[in-house]
Amino acid sequence: MKHSLGPQILLGALLVLLAALPVYAQVYTVDYLGYGWEKAAGPLKAAGDELIITSVADGIDPAFGVDLTTEEVTLHIYGLISDGPVDAGGYTIINFTGGYMDIYEDPAMNADWGINPPNATSPGTFTEGSLFFRGAFTSFTMYFDASGAYGSFEGNLDGISGSIINEYCTNCVYTWGGAFTLDAGAQIPEGYWIQVDGTFEIDSAVDTETASWGSVKALFK
Amino acid sequence: MKTMMKGLLIVLAVAALPLGASAQQLFDFNGQAMMPSTAGGVLTMYSVMYDPAPIDSPIPLDFASYEFTLVVDGVTLVSDGISRVFSGGTVTIYQDAGTAADYTNPATFTDGTAILVGNFTSLSQFVPPFGPGSVSGYLDWVGGARLNDMAPEDQLHWAFLSGTSTTSGTLLPGYDEVWDGKTEPPSTIVDTEAASMGSIKALFR
Repeated sequence: MKHSLGPQILLGALLVLLAALPVYAQVYTVDYLGYGWEKAAGPLKAAGDELIITSVADGIDPAFGVDLTTEEVTLHIYGLISDGPVDAGGYTIINFTGGYMDIYEDPAMNADWGINPPNATSPGTFTEGSLFFRGAFTSFTMYFDASGAYGSFEGNLDGISGSIINEYCTNCVYTWGGAFTLDAGAQIPEGYWIQVDGTFEIDSAVDTETASWGSVKALFK
Repeated sequence: MKTMMKGLLIVLAVAALPLGASAQQLFDFNGQAMMPSTAGGVLTMYSVMYDPAPIDSPIPLDFASYEFTLVVDGVTLVSDGISRVFSGGTVTIYQDAGTAADYTNPATFTDGTAILVGNFTSLSQFVPPFGPGSVSGYLDWVGGARLNDMAPEDQLHWAFLSGTSTTSGTLLPGYDEVWDGKTEPPSTIVDTEAASMGSIKALFR
């Protein structure tokens, strides 16, 4: 008599298989503070405007082995081009196209925003040292509250290069997010548009393995 | 003419006060929040503070010798939605050289010395249907062991700003949101220095 796998047995088998998958998800973070400006004339946030941000890490996962008391970690975000503001029904969103994020380790400890960027120190002092990470944005969105005074942002990146690439995970997921403030009490240097505060997260994705259906069934024989 | 000269002297004296390398000041924190599910519920957030260098802390904090934690408590949800409105509540900054902060044991965030205690005067949270949220509000510092490190006028109307996330990979079991934010004074706090009028006048001789 030939036995076939009924739906209930199949479901049970799949559940057992899922439960058996190793979960290695580990999250590494870089916490940062900084300021951003728009490189364009005319109304802020308009389509075609480039958003540039320079920031400094004030917290970093110990796994990276970086001592923030002896070297600084700086972030330079550039090339994010606004698609223009969209009314989402009580709040505003702006999607951006393109863009890169570079992170540097620098023993010079000289990051300085100055005023009215770009200037003699920004982004210059944020792009010195050795390249820790370079990523290309695959998405980036800003969410403005109804007042337009503050909000949040989130972007995803593909890792390109840098000393940490492939060092801490495989199939890594890189996410950059946080909150921004224009005019909700934040101290913002003259000439900058926003203050930003957030986290760069590196999530090691759970490894997947390609297998034939036969080999999966064989596991339960 | 005499009044004008006096005014000029004061302006010059103020201009001569030493300022830090950075004009910005804030207390930075990264924490985990337990959110109310319905109006009337209470929000609590536990966080660890980071040295914001090269940005300055509004009052000097010895991060090398102490752990600093910032705790939000007693904040009541008034209305829910894309814009959540809260009322009441306190912010307390603790300095502790003993127990390391541990999110599985919230008591480790509230031990040590309460160096600053503040009352929220407003707090709201923007929660878009997609993407992370953000918090904005104001507070007045009203107590704590180091309250008097700030002049009375510098204790009021501090901005409280934070990003919030329900999907961050750093969200811990038992908590609802990751909060990453700061609180900062409305303008740069500068050191004061006692000086006689005679010594100020002597600067311009």
